[in-house]
Amino acid sequence: MFRHVVQWVVWKDLLTEFRSRETLSSMLFFALIVIFIFSFSFSMNQQAAQELIAGIIWVAFAFTGMIGLGKSFSAELQNDCLEYLQGSPAAKGAIYAGKVAANFMFMLIVEIILFPLFVIFFNLDVIEQISLLLLIFFLATFGLSAVGTLFSALTVQIRAREVMLPILLLPLVVPVMIAAVEATKGALNGDPLPMYQQWLELLAIFNVVFTVVSFWLFDFIIDA
Amino acid sequence: MISKVVRRLRRFQGWFGGLAAGCLVAGLYLGLLASPPDYYQGEVARIMYIHVPLAHTALLAYTVVFAGSLWYLWKRDPLIDNVCHAAAGLSALFTALALVTGMIWAKPTWNTWWTWDARLTSFALLFFILLGYLMLRTFIDHPEREARYAAVLAIVGFLDLPIIHFSVEWWRTLHQPQSISLRGVSISSGLLIPLVIMSIGMSLLFAYMLILRTQLLYLSRLLETKRGRLLSQFHFSKADP
Repeated sequence: MFRHVVQWVVWKDLLTEFRSRETLSSMLFFALIVIFIFSFSFSMNQQAAQELIAGIIWVAFAFTGMIGLGKSFSAELQNDCLEYLQGSPAAKGAIYAGKVAANFMFMLIVEIILFPLFVIFFNLDVIEQISLLLLIFFLATFGLSAVGTLFSALTVQIRAREVMLPILLLPLVVPVMIAAVEATKGALNGDPLPMYQQWLELLAIFNVVFTVVSFWLFDFIIDA
Repeated sequence: MISKVVRRLRRFQGWFGGLAAGCLVAGLYLGLLASPPDYYQGEVARIMYIHVPLAHTALLAYTVVFAGSLWYLWKRDPLIDNVCHAAAGLSALFTALALVTGMIWAKPTWNTWWTWDARLTSFALLFFILLGYLMLRTFIDHPEREARYAAVLAIVGFLDLPIIHFSVEWWRTLHQPQSISLRGVSISSGLLIPLVIMSIGMSLLFAYMLILRTQLLYLSRLLETKRGRLLSQFHFSKADP
């Protein structure tokens, strides 16, 4: 039962996205602009790029993630879908899990499309580290979507929700941002894994703690 | 009905207020006048007697918000929600004061107003989380939903604080060995006693303010429902000839 609800929620989100292509296209376009703005505002040479690139990557990913997360539940406002979700007899945790999975997929898709662009524009050398970078992207994106989905649901029914989502979410995901930036920096510099392994562990701990906590607290948010 | 809760709270109010005033006066006297100046920092270090208790009390207040939020989600008692709301506002106040006094202390000792030290950064983030909490409350019209959402945010934020602290600490220590760190608590009893008294006094002051604010929020909630009821009565009596 639980598994079916998760599957249906994911399938529904993917189908609406496939038909409208609203979220992915706006995320991609926004991220592209962020990359350009950054390269203008720092006027980078090769050395500066090496120093700053991990931070730029994660600011771009986090801000585009905000767009995807914000749309995740505001899309449910049309035709009172949210009320049907609230009223449905399905376990609320299953709805949360499905939403997290869908948001995670959207963000990861955008990141996988964007990252080659970073490689091209900033002339990065990533071939040897690609599996580690993917692991970092995977862990950090999961952390962002686990907390972000909870706060997407929390802000959707309040005033000024577009502003409130980043205001509430960004201070809470500071550990994810720091860990992701430091680990990405280490991987891009080709440092040995033990030098930044602790950041991966921190991401794993964050993910476990906040998946469990958000899963539990989601009940109180969707409670009709 | 009104007076039952308020009367019960008022019974403690005077005790807390009086004890807080006594502790703070005694602590300030001992700290600012009677205790010896710090060996390294001289008279400057005396701001410690304000700064450290403020920081302790800010964390104590957020702990109250966290415990109250859990309790609210369990029992759904609106009075507990008022306590959480009051404590969160006070926690933001104490956090802001701790940050400001910390900056004033940092300028003469570290020669900078701000450094990205682990404790400073996590306190600034605590302040942001609390501001977000208070802002969230103003953006929700439905009182019951406001209480529920605020409780969820408070719980997530509280559990996040240790992780934030560790991540910022690692982040700093990885980059560079800390040239300036907050002093350890290897402190003589002449300095420790006023510090403990000030901490107790500040906590009692927080309790006193919490009681006052809770009464205020409780009464304004009551007023709101009374006014709503009166307005609807008036409305119906006019509609019905």
